[in-house]
Amino acid sequence: MSRVIAFCFLLLASVLGYLHIDSRPAWAPFASVYPVDIANPVEDSPESPESNKPAKNLKNAAPVKQAQPSLRMDWLPDTGAPSVHAASLITLKDGGVRAFWFAGSREGAPDVAIYTAVFDPQASRWSAPTVVMDRVSAEKGLSRYIAKLGNPVPARMADGRMQLFFVTVSIGGWAGSSISSVISDDEGLTWGQPQRLISSPLINLSTLVKSPAMLFADGRLGLPAYHEWIGRFGEFLRIDASRVIDKRRMSSGRGAIQPVVFADGPQEASAFFRQTRSSSQLKQIPVSETKDAGQSWVATKDLEIPNPNSAIAALTLANGTRLMVLNNIEAGRYRLVMVMRESNSAQWQVIQVIEDDESLANDQRREFSYPYLISANGEDAHLAYTWDRKKIKHVYFPAAWFKHAVSSLKEKEAQ
Amino acid sequence: MRGSAHCAFAKAEFKRDSICSTHCLGPTIENLFFWPLGMSLELPLSAYVRGVTGDLSIVTLLLLWSSMLPSAKKTPLGFKVPLALIAIAFYPLALGFGMMDPYAWGYGSISLLIAVVLFAIVCGLAGWTKGVWILSFAIIAWAAHWHESANLWDYLLDPFLAIWALFAIPNAIYRKRREKMQSGYLFRAG
Repeated sequence: MSRVIAFCFLLLASVLGYLHIDSRPAWAPFASVYPVDIANPVEDSPESPESNKPAKNLKNAAPVKQAQPSLRMDWLPDTGAPSVHAASLITLKDGGVRAFWFAGSREGAPDVAIYTAVFDPQASRWSAPTVVMDRVSAEKGLSRYIAKLGNPVPARMADGRMQLFFVTVSIGGWAGSSISSVISDDEGLTWGQPQRLISSPLINLSTLVKSPAMLFADGRLGLPAYHEWIGRFGEFLRIDASRVIDKRRMSSGRGAIQPVVFADGPQEASAFFRQTRSSSQLKQIPVSETKDAGQSWVATKDLEIPNPNSAIAALTLANGTRLMVLNNIEAGRYRLVMVMRESNSAQWQVIQVIEDDESLANDQRREFSYPYLISANGEDAHLAYTWDRKKIKHVYFPAAWFKHAVSSLKEKEAQ
Repeated sequence: MRGSAHCAFAKAEFKRDSICSTHCLGPTIENLFFWPLGMSLELPLSAYVRGVTGDLSIVTLLLLWSSMLPSAKKTPLGFKVPLALIAIAFYPLALGFGMMDPYAWGYGSISLLIAVVLFAIVCGLAGWTKGVWILSFAIIAWAAHWHESANLWDYLLDPFLAIWALFAIPNAIYRKRREKMQSGYLFRAG
């Protein structure tokens, strides 16, 4: 008799389980970031679309002649901490830009906190930094022990609120990380309770975030994340508010982390990774592609741009031009460049050398790493990156600068 | 709901202690576990344990709770062995071995749900009714979103349950050998 009751209960559980699966939102296509601007393509003479054409000799490519108008450079405000890293940016509704970064006595120290400041484009000035999250407030909010904090990545939710994803570690090094998030109703002035994202079956260990999220057409977020323990691979998390509702593997093995995603259409996207391969393998940018809005990913041919195991930043402008900021060397992080690929071209070309310490002796070379790119209006670009772990540099590329860079490239090609 | 799993786990552990030892000391220690103790600790001790272990699956919790019942019987090897085999295949794949990720099935795969229901039916037919109740509860908890996770696997399996199942196999082999040896001694001819 008890067995019959148990089976009836199982039947009830099965029906509830089925209804739960049935009520899940269907996987949506990618939302377009900018309104499609087919009428004003940058390039007039279309080239043959050759997929993944390697950017030959990028390492030795000379930058195009100094572009005019000039770039605007400044520093994110000083927090007094000796070590800073992992800056990220988001555009505010009033046109300003909010930056997040972590600072402390050293990377991974218990005193590391996540700071924020706002850039006023009219005054070209940063506000005083404030703390978004420190270790103690994270552990009180999450009701669990937190040993250290890591990368912050902001995102704009479909309802206009701001969400900040950040890495927390309870045990071990960065490999023991998990992702948590906080939501702000007032553009980042105040924040709600932090919540953990559950993304791994092994006591939620080892999921990190570095790259910006992308929006699905149904308003949910797609967050490129990665694992760093045993396997080192990319994962695409589908997020509903503060909950992972699905995830898909973007790569496998131990060679590719920190994916950045370029959407090619509502269903197609390509992801470029920071390589973490063994010394015998090629030090180039691993690539994965999806043709079903991120439901399945296939690793394809590397992009032949050197990568020294360092993060990449990616951005698509409104006219379809793609930008990446990266270290195009096989070892070290002493050179940082911006590369561009026009919408109708397959070629990545260096358009600006942002930092280069190649002429210095090995021990004098500084680290320029963890770039993060956003655009305020689809025509310009804000870049933030770690400058020798001591400061965060902010570079503004005005729309006019890109126009000039494109025309210079054309001139160069014509010659 | 967050944290309740751990609280329950810790309470279950402590309750077992308190039954075994004294009736006064147990609850005191139990409460201490959940109080902020001050000193250099910002959180109660339970939060430190939780930080390290994560939240336990519903199956682990119910097995722990049911083990305290007066009529508690041993969990059959027929449950532990398949569980251990599933864990051996599941964790390497879920942690990046290849492009197939069985953990992703837990978000909404009808096949995984059917497999769990079939497993529960087999448990019931084999005479382990408790298993049917436990797996049914785990499915309902997932459908009702009792944990932080939206993944069915997190309601069914956790590393501690996997380790327990893995250790159960050599333990059972060792016991059987010992029983054989003892029976051999008792009925040795001569």
